[in-house]
Parts: sequence; C-alpha cells; structure tokens
Amino acid sequence: MKKPCDKYTAEDISRFIDNELSRDQYHAVAQHLIHCPVCSRLVERYRSISSVINDHAAQAVLRIDPVKLKQKIVQQNSKETFSRNIFRFFTKNIYLKLASIAAIVIFSLLPFQGALFGPTGPSAIVKYVDTDFASVMIIETQKEQHTIIWFSET
Amino acid sequence: MGGFIKTILILSGISCFYFFTQPAVAKSQVLTDVKVIHASTGTRYVDQGLKGIISELESVFKYTSYRLLKDQKLNLNFNQKGRVNLPGERALVVIPTDMQGKRIRYQINIQKNNHSIFQTRVLLKNNSSITIGGPQFKDGVLLLNISGSVQ
Repeated sequence: MKKPCDKYTAEDISRFIDNELSRDQYHAVAQHLIHCPVCSRLVERYRSISSVINDHAAQAVLRIDPVKLKQKIVQQNSKETFSRNIFRFFTKNIYLKLASIAAIVIFSLLPFQGALFGPTGPSAIVKYVDTDFASVMIIETQKEQHTIIWFSET
Repeated sequence: MGGFIKTILILSGISCFYFFTQPAVAKSQVLTDVKVIHASTGTRYVDQGLKGIISELESVFKYTSYRLLKDQKLNLNFNQKGRVNLPGERALVVIPTDMQGKRIRYQINIQKNNHSIFQTRVLLKNNSSITIGGPQFKDGVLLLNISGSVQ
C-alpha cells in the first residue's frame, strides 16, 4: 500500500474513512489531518469515491420494488421446496421403491404371461368332434369360460 | 440409492433366469382327473367333491342333483392311453397327445359296448377342465369332467 505520508499508510486513511479505527487511533489521525495536506487530500478523495458509490447504491435500491422482490423470493423458495420434495419423494419413499421393483418385475415377466397366468380364453378349445348322434352342442360358461360338450344320446 | 439399483438388478436377473430356464425342463407327465357325475332332477343334492365346478354346471344345466359316481386320477405320459369304466357298459378313453403352447392336446373317446359313440380332440388349458355330457343313465345323464395338469 502506497504511503501518503511518513506517519500513516493509505490503508490507515481508508480505515479512518470507514470508522474502523479505535477511538484513540481515530483522534490521532484526525489531529494528523489538520497538519498533513497529503493525507487530507487522500481523505477527500476517498470520501468522494465512497459518496459516488453510495449514491449509485441508493439509486439502485430505490429502483427495487419491494413487493415484486418479496414475490420473487417466495417463488424461488417454493420452487426450491418443490424440487426438494420431489427429490426426497424419489429417494426416500419406500413405497415408490417397492412400486419400482414391482413394475420392473412385472415388465420382465410380461413375455411369460402365458406361463404365469395361463392362456386366456375358454378352458378347452374343441378341434374336432365325431359322433353317431346328430345333436352336439359346445357351450362356454360365462363366469369361468368352462367348456362343455353336450351330445344327445337318443 | 446404489443399494436400490442393486436390488432391482438382482430381482430382474433372478426373474429372467427363472423364466428363461423354465422351458428347458421337460414335462412329460400329465395328471388327468376324470370325475363321473350323475346329474338328475331328483331331490336337490350336490356332492362335496364337486365344489370346484358345480357353479359352472348349474349355470348351464337345470338338474337339481349332482352325484359324484367316480373320481379317477390317471398319471399319463404323452400318447399313453387312460381308460375309465363308466356305468352302462360304457368307457372313457383319454390320451394326452402333446402340448400346443400352454394347452394339452387330448384325444377323448367314449365307447359303449366297445363301440366308439363319441370322439373329440380338444386343447385343454393346463390346470383346467372340460365337461362332456349327454350319455343317459338311470333318470338322468352322465357328466364327465376331465381335468389335465402337466407335471
């Protein structure tokens, strides 16, 4: 840090401007400024810079609509909560895990549906009938699709 | 989460292994169960041994009495003939010939006085049954319930 004078550094002056010095140090620097033109100029320079910055900051703050800002924060929070909940749902929910396992098992067993649950349709498919009697009926019950062959022995 | 994926992979693997290897096991025995039922319009009666099929029979027939005359189990190889003697000089001959998909192909023959009076070929769903009815007996008819199960 460049030295404005032999006694204080530019950092000391900056801390003076920002009220970061102890009470004694602050008074010592204030006394020094009365006699030191170099440090006084530096103080003025720093103050003008901070005044410009403060003005800009104040203007920027004035442009902020507090209602909109509040809404934006609420929206942001709700978005984060939603995504957190979704993530928790997919990672922590034991039922979802079980459902996923069940779904995978079911999908992997689908090609073997016949082996698992048997073929669908009537209990028997009649391919051929031959009898001495003229009257033959093939019936399928509604409930269990049970096949009945009826021939009239008369 | 790693454990979860591992579980899924293991389960999928076991399922696939089980079902892919299943057809390799040869099944040649067919347990055939023949129930000979006397159905009539006498006093209401349902034999205890007909619990599994009575609702199906009653949904079609108007008989009030269903008596189980015979329940014969035949453990047959494919193309092996199984014979069940029926009342009235009749006989039932069943032959499981082969499988078509998940169904058992049966050749069924009803004889009277050693003369074929009825024959049929059916594809019976495994672990299911078919009923053949019609032969006159006493004051009613005979119903033949034939079920098949590949062992």
